[in-house]
Amino acid sequence: MIEKIGALWPEIILFAAACIVMVVGLSPTAAVRRLCAPLAGAALIVAGIVAWFTTPAAHGPLPMLPLFGKTLVAGVGVLLALLLAGTPDREYESAIARGATGYDPIRANRAEFWAFFLFSLTGAMLCAGADDLIWLFLALELTSLPTYIMVAVSTGRNRSMEAAVKYFFLGALGAAVFLYGFTLLYGGTGTTRLFAPAGEPSIASILAAQAAGPGINAVAMTGLVLSFLGVCFKIAAVPMHFYTPDVYQGASSAVAGFLAFVPKAAGFFTILILAGAAGWWGSSPVDAGGSLPQPLHQIVLIVAILTMSVGNALAVVQSSAKRMLAYSSIAHSGYMLVGVVAGPGPANAPYTSNGVAAVLFYLLSYGVMNLGAFAVLASLERRRADGSADEADDVNDLKGLCATRPLLGWTLVLSVVGLLGLPPLLGFWAKLPLFTSAISSNEIGLVIVLGLNSAVAAYYYLRLASVALLESPELTNDTVRSSPFPARAVAGLASAVGIVLLAAWPLNQWAMQGGRYQRVEPLKAAEGTPPARVDAGAPAAR
Amino acid sequence: MLLALILIPLLTAAVVPLAPKRSVGQVALLGTLVALALAAYLTLGRDWSGPDAGRDLAVSAPWMPELGLVFKLGTDGLSMSLVALTALLGPICVACSFTAVTQRVRTYYGWLLVLQAAMTGVFLARDMILFYVFFEFTLVPMFVLISLYGSTNRKAAAVKFFLYTFTGSVIALAGIVYAAWFNANRVDAADPVAKALVAASPDLVLGRWTFDLASLQAAASRFMSAETQWWVFLALLCGFAVKVPLVPVHTWLPLAHTEAPTAGSVVLAGVLLKLGTYGLLKIAIGLCPAGAMAWAPTIGLLCLLGIVGAGLICWVQTDVKKLVAYSSVAHLGFCVLGLFAFNDAGVQGSVLYMINHGLSTGALFLCIGMIYERYHTRSMREIGGLAARMPIWATFMVFFTMASVGLPGLNGFVSEFLCLLGAFQAGDVWRSHPLTVGGTGGNLGPYVAAIAGTGMIIAAMYLLYMLGHVVFGPLREPHHDEHHSASGGAHDAEPRLPADLTAREIGVLAPLAVLCLVLGVYPKPLMRMVDPGVKEVIAAVEGARTQRPATRPVAEGDAGAAPALATQEAAR
Amino acid sequence: MIGGTLVTLLAQGPIPADMGGVTLAHYLVVSAVMFVLGLVGFMVRRNLIIMFLCTELMFQAAGIALIAFSRFHMNHTGQTFVIFVLTVAAAEAAMALALVVLLFRRKETLDGAAWRELKG
Repeated sequence: MIEKIGALWPEIILFAAACIVMVVGLSPTAAVRRLCAPLAGAALIVAGIVAWFTTPAAHGPLPMLPLFGKTLVAGVGVLLALLLAGTPDREYESAIARGATGYDPIRANRAEFWAFFLFSLTGAMLCAGADDLIWLFLALELTSLPTYIMVAVSTGRNRSMEAAVKYFFLGALGAAVFLYGFTLLYGGTGTTRLFAPAGEPSIASILAAQAAGPGINAVAMTGLVLSFLGVCFKIAAVPMHFYTPDVYQGASSAVAGFLAFVPKAAGFFTILILAGAAGWWGSSPVDAGGSLPQPLHQIVLIVAILTMSVGNALAVVQSSAKRMLAYSSIAHSGYMLVGVVAGPGPANAPYTSNGVAAVLFYLLSYGVMNLGAFAVLASLERRRADGSADEADDVNDLKGLCATRPLLGWTLVLSVVGLLGLPPLLGFWAKLPLFTSAISSNEIGLVIVLGLNSAVAAYYYLRLASVALLESPELTNDTVRSSPFPARAVAGLASAVGIVLLAAWPLNQWAMQGGRYQRVEPLKAAEGTPPARVDAGAPAAR
Repeated sequence: MLLALILIPLLTAAVVPLAPKRSVGQVALLGTLVALALAAYLTLGRDWSGPDAGRDLAVSAPWMPELGLVFKLGTDGLSMSLVALTALLGPICVACSFTAVTQRVRTYYGWLLVLQAAMTGVFLARDMILFYVFFEFTLVPMFVLISLYGSTNRKAAAVKFFLYTFTGSVIALAGIVYAAWFNANRVDAADPVAKALVAASPDLVLGRWTFDLASLQAAASRFMSAETQWWVFLALLCGFAVKVPLVPVHTWLPLAHTEAPTAGSVVLAGVLLKLGTYGLLKIAIGLCPAGAMAWAPTIGLLCLLGIVGAGLICWVQTDVKKLVAYSSVAHLGFCVLGLFAFNDAGVQGSVLYMINHGLSTGALFLCIGMIYERYHTRSMREIGGLAARMPIWATFMVFFTMASVGLPGLNGFVSEFLCLLGAFQAGDVWRSHPLTVGGTGGNLGPYVAAIAGTGMIIAAMYLLYMLGHVVFGPLREPHHDEHHSASGGAHDAEPRLPADLTAREIGVLAPLAVLCLVLGVYPKPLMRMVDPGVKEVIAAVEGARTQRPATRPVAEGDAGAAPALATQEAAR
Repeated sequence: MIGGTLVTLLAQGPIPADMGGVTLAHYLVVSAVMFVLGLVGFMVRRNLIIMFLCTELMFQAAGIALIAFSRFHMNHTGQTFVIFVLTVAAAEAAMALALVVLLFRRKETLDGAAWRELKG
């Protein structure tokens, strides 16, 4: 027990910081209230460092996933904190500053926002380290419940409310689906432990035993499939993707940038953990180490193809930059699922044939590139005739950005060209391992679909890039101006630098470590401490 | 040295945005001239005819070991000749834009220089992914050049250009990755054949993940079955055929050419298209010679379609630039036809064709650009008989058209003749192959060569027709040019040009003319220079023809998965 | 898919555990019916509260299945799980009602169709 708590130091730090932030935010002094964001950022930095040094290797097939996941979440979280600077209700803050209104603790929701931000990141970290279904369920819910509130309070407008409600209801549906999946998984194996030391019963070892013997039983398999489909909501993959464009458009750009990364990261950690539990055993042993068990493999494959195709096809016709990025976020989930289908290859496979490492590296790259794009959108605002400001959203708001605001403009260009996957930027080095790992597991058709989709994606990314880079700014366009938060531009710049430089080797190596895979030994019937019924009694095994 | 060839334009591109607006052009010119001097020193300063010439220049540094990448540059006579062509066109493109481009000059020269660096990189890269990186990166500067500095329909043209080539090359990437995977997982380093290969050239990396060009070519050409080679070649063909362009995927080219600024067209015709033929020659054929042989008749057919079809389309064009653009499709058809004859004459001719087409068509685009700068039209309906107004220009125009037509004594003739000769002698290379699409039995060479020969006549017809309209005949000038000069105040930025060519413009065209003449009269040194590269290609194809079936039945596909797994385990 | 599983389960016959003649299959059928009802309700209804209740129904369906499985496997993990599920469901309920109240204050209706500022 105690070592389990020892593995949770980063989460504990974030949780404590969230509580402190909530209290700090109640202060009647504005200067103290403004400490919320710096506190959150500092907590993330500390949590990241602690995670780097204290996270132990886990049991189970992906021992280094917790380390990688927690540091990744903390690292990108710091940038997200910069991006979110000043998100909720700054009109209210300025009204207090002007003396137009008195301080009202019920209306000052800044502190809750930052607390929820930290809670959500805590949840994502917990997902990465989960080794039990209950833990996984709670971690997923901890990731997503705060995001609903963050969307609702991100701007004071009706659109945010509507987006929050849409997001919440579909999120609850997704949660119910994967909860039912978890239930069936428990029913089919008799335990909620996902991974355990060798010899002890766990879902992974029991499924391995079933796969080696009569085949994974129908209940457990249904559970796996339902869990996967439910988690598709978190990663915005096809059957559960409908909310994405609306929610991203309704939320403020900064929060949309958050939504595009944190729930997706949590979702992919979950999918990798579940797939790791199911094992890439496969019935068609290519020399690369097999595929997921059959129906699951087919379903992930189909979802991957549909997700990238639908995302890209719909992104092409958008005129709102946020909706375009939302659909592109869907498409990128599809790309990453290719790595899940490819699987980690044989034990100690090289980076090139390890699909899990490819997914992790892609997640990191996507986090950085996507953040750059959203940071640019969040740094611009369109002023309307009545003096109220709104965030820049239409593609035309970005006209001539490179000429008027070179830093923002080039950040945008680098981000979208990176997302497009053009060498030598980060996106290409992220896509290349997906190519190599998918070919290693003989999914050549999938690779072709992935390639063609990248080509379709080129169309709309080029549009974004060329609007910013090539079009001349409209002379009447001074209604678009920079938002008053330099921190957002800093976040954008940081990601732009990352897009150019991060392709270098240490991160590859890091992802390779994170994706290290070891096969789970099948549970031998005699060793099972909980009665032999776990195996024999699995309902549909007969 | 080789790195400097890439870095000089790149560094100049970095300096250009800092230069004062007036001297941007000069800075760019200086940079390209330095690159040209270095390229000339490397090209002329040594004997390239030996098989190992240029080996001492190779650069290799670890890059991303996890992915099996090495930053590896190398060269041989063939690559060097194309590098020299790129370096030669560099200053010419810069110099021809001094008056043509007056807005956003920093961006313009910056991207032009980046483009030069990327193209040089393609020819020098000896790692497949490095090659791919440079290959793809040429798209960005070209996209910017077309969509910022092109004419009316430029955006659509730029997007079409980008999407066509990008789609093709992504599929080519799948082919490259497959070849690398094949080398890592299907080739056994302990195999006697592999051992012999490594003993012969110790640099080869077999049986491990690598993207090293030589290793992959050795592995794939020896061990990959013809069926697999057929597929891999198809994937690579998707990438390179778009760039060449071969017929069904050529439609981006006329649009891009017409819309691009003059320098863009020159680079496009001069070098960018050669990336496709170079890729076929140096990468695709060496990687899967058996696949190339299987595809040769089909490709020959596509080339014929291009030669004759594009030639006929040229005939009905009224836009001079579009005419020359379509003529590129036809000319590149000859080039690829010669290449896929897989004999000395054909491949030799094909390589020469790459250089010569770069010189003469590039020069034609320059000539047309000069007209466009003066009259702001390229339509044959509006301009004509310019020999009366611009005698110097007319001389150059006639000269380069003749070079393009293939007048004996000028450069076009040598290469076109060699390509046709190669096709004529292709003999049983094009005999139907079990995997060929649309192949027929018997010796197709003479028939193909005969049909392609009519292409030469068509070329003569449309080019002379163009010449007759634009250069000779009654003088016709567009009316609105008068208005234009009258209201010159509105176009302050554009300096007025004299009726005939300025010294700068003559200086731009003259080196090309001299080279056309020299290469037409005495192509021997160039032929000697590219000879080792040509021999390499022919040897690869010959090897595939005599070696098949593979020396050792290498397990492949699902059926052989288990033994391959065993070998892989053993290799560890 | 769920239907197919249930058929297999039903074909299995009674289980000798002392479930008083009610087998695991019975519980699972109830749970599956609840789940599907919730899913269908969620899709066809437009009242926000009803939609929320439908998701609750799906959560509780999972809860029933969990308890049944727990009994079937003779361990307590499933029941522990249910406690957590209930907690989370309560948190979700709080959040849902808060959001619904917010919306109601702005538009005085609970009809989801009244909110279409975002296309799609």
